[in-house]
Amino acid sequence: MTTSAAPRGLRRLQQILHRLEDLIIAGLLTATMGLALYQIVLRNVMGAGIVWGDILIRLMVLWLGMAGAMVATRQRKHISVDLVTRYLSAGWRRAAESLTTLFAGAICLIAFYTSLQFVISERAFGSLAFAQVPYWVCVSILPAAFLVIAVRYLIQFWLTLTRSPKAAS
Amino acid sequence: MTATVLFVLLLGVAVLGAPLFAVLLAVAMMGFYSRGIDLSAVAIEIYRIADMPLLLALPFFAFAGYVVAASRTSERLVRLTRLFLGWMPGGLAIVSLVACALFTAFTGASGVTIVALGALLYPALTQDGYGERFSLGLVTSSGSLGLLFPPSVPLILYGVIAQQLGVGPFFAIEELFWAGLLPGLLMLVLLSGWSLWTNRHMARPRQTFSSGELFAAVREAIWELPLPVFLIAGIYGGYMAVSEAAIITAAYVVVVEVFIYREIRICQLPEIMRDSMVMVGGILLILGVSLAFTNYLIDAEVPMRLFNLIQRLVADKIVFLILLNILLLILGAILDIFSALVIMVPLILPVAVSYGIDPVHLGIIFLANMQIGYFTPPVGMNLFIASYRFEKPVAELYRATIPFMVVLLAAVLVITYWPQLSLFFR
Repeated sequence: MTTSAAPRGLRRLQQILHRLEDLIIAGLLTATMGLALYQIVLRNVMGAGIVWGDILIRLMVLWLGMAGAMVATRQRKHISVDLVTRYLSAGWRRAAESLTTLFAGAICLIAFYTSLQFVISERAFGSLAFAQVPYWVCVSILPAAFLVIAVRYLIQFWLTLTRSPKAAS
Repeated sequence: MTATVLFVLLLGVAVLGAPLFAVLLAVAMMGFYSRGIDLSAVAIEIYRIADMPLLLALPFFAFAGYVVAASRTSERLVRLTRLFLGWMPGGLAIVSLVACALFTAFTGASGVTIVALGALLYPALTQDGYGERFSLGLVTSSGSLGLLFPPSVPLILYGVIAQQLGVGPFFAIEELFWAGLLPGLLMLVLLSGWSLWTNRHMARPRQTFSSGELFAAVREAIWELPLPVFLIAGIYGGYMAVSEAAIITAAYVVVVEVFIYREIRICQLPEIMRDSMVMVGGILLILGVSLAFTNYLIDAEVPMRLFNLIQRLVADKIVFLILLNILLLILGAILDIFSALVIMVPLILPVAVSYGIDPVHLGIIFLANMQIGYFTPPVGMNLFIASYRFEKPVAELYRATIPFMVVLLAAVLVITYWPQLSLFFR
């Protein structure tokens, strides 16, 4: 689809990365579900669960959400106000698409940079989120996800620019 | 001046189809920057997602909904409701409404109702002698029916946003679930009544009531039948927290569809999981970014100024409600329900509370209006899904849904101006 211009080796690598991403999400969701069920059983049978269990589960939901947002970028499934593009001609639509993908890529790049700064400062500070897990590890999903999302938007921007007008329609 | 220019530019890229989270992120960053706050505040705000226990319900209900949508639950649901209600004159129309409402509540109004149920119901309706336009209108407008019933994802999301705003009296998510019950039923009853009346000259359906058939259908659906029961008993009965109900539901649905009905192979699960998390990720990212955005709004006293402005123009609660209905209907036609919730609730809730509107009631008003937005031209999502699914031009669907829209508008008016309907179980 969007990768038709890329050489075969690159496309293969991309497929493997996508598959890996899907499996990570599936694994994370399964683990979250398992841990949450275990917590429920513990609470109802033993009367008390793992102390930091709930914090970890909530954190995993954030990680799941960010991972889902990464895939949503790749599948172009982010929520947007699709008010006028429907009525544009192919050429104008392409112009709009390159503008919006460049914009999103740039914003996410800034978000990547600022959240990375945050992670670095938290690491220097060295506080713990729960159990023995440092806070900065928990937050590190934010720069990671924003970097992936930014790169994806910039690739989409590049592809929109370089794609022949025929392929665009 | 520069701020205004930037704002207009951002509005421009938003309208051109930029992802909404990026637009909100840009606004939040501009806000922080202009007040000299370090931009890493954005990361802190997004991280607050991990501090919301209620959010746990979102991925699990979404996943359960995707599993249900991928299996043949829709067929069993239609078969069963048909046996219960299909023998009455006009019964199939009511069957469609009830089945769609249940399915939508469970699958989160993501348009899947039209794809999964509409595809079964539309041919059945036309075969039974219902007019084509009526049948099309029915399946298209029913795609968002059931939004007010738990565990619909928008209902939970409203609860999450309202709770973290902390404006007005605190309410538990269970109260919101109770509040949606009667308004949702009102919509069902009104639509059923209208369907019966408009098809009153139709011949009696050929379907007759047979206890043998019914037994077979019940046996077929026996593993899914407990689902609504334990959801309702668990949530309404207060035996389970909503997030616990979500986790147990997801686990139960996987066991039933994968190991008992064997309609989903294990190797399909990662893909279903991914697709459901794409939806959740889209919502969570917008929500996280909107926390930063809202923070900026509150610091800039936007709700306060908005309130003062509105208070000067609108003295009366009723007038405010009328304006609110109009605003929400327009918004519903432009924005999808999740972005509308995330952007508008932080602005509207403080104003509405100061007019003496209960936050729980406001949630029901909000969603009831948005429900109509799903099939309001020009961009109602379900219009396009139905157009694609039934291979009909969108303009034909505009016409087909008009009577249903009128009926639902009547329901929305009742819901808005009769708060006791939503707050009956208080």
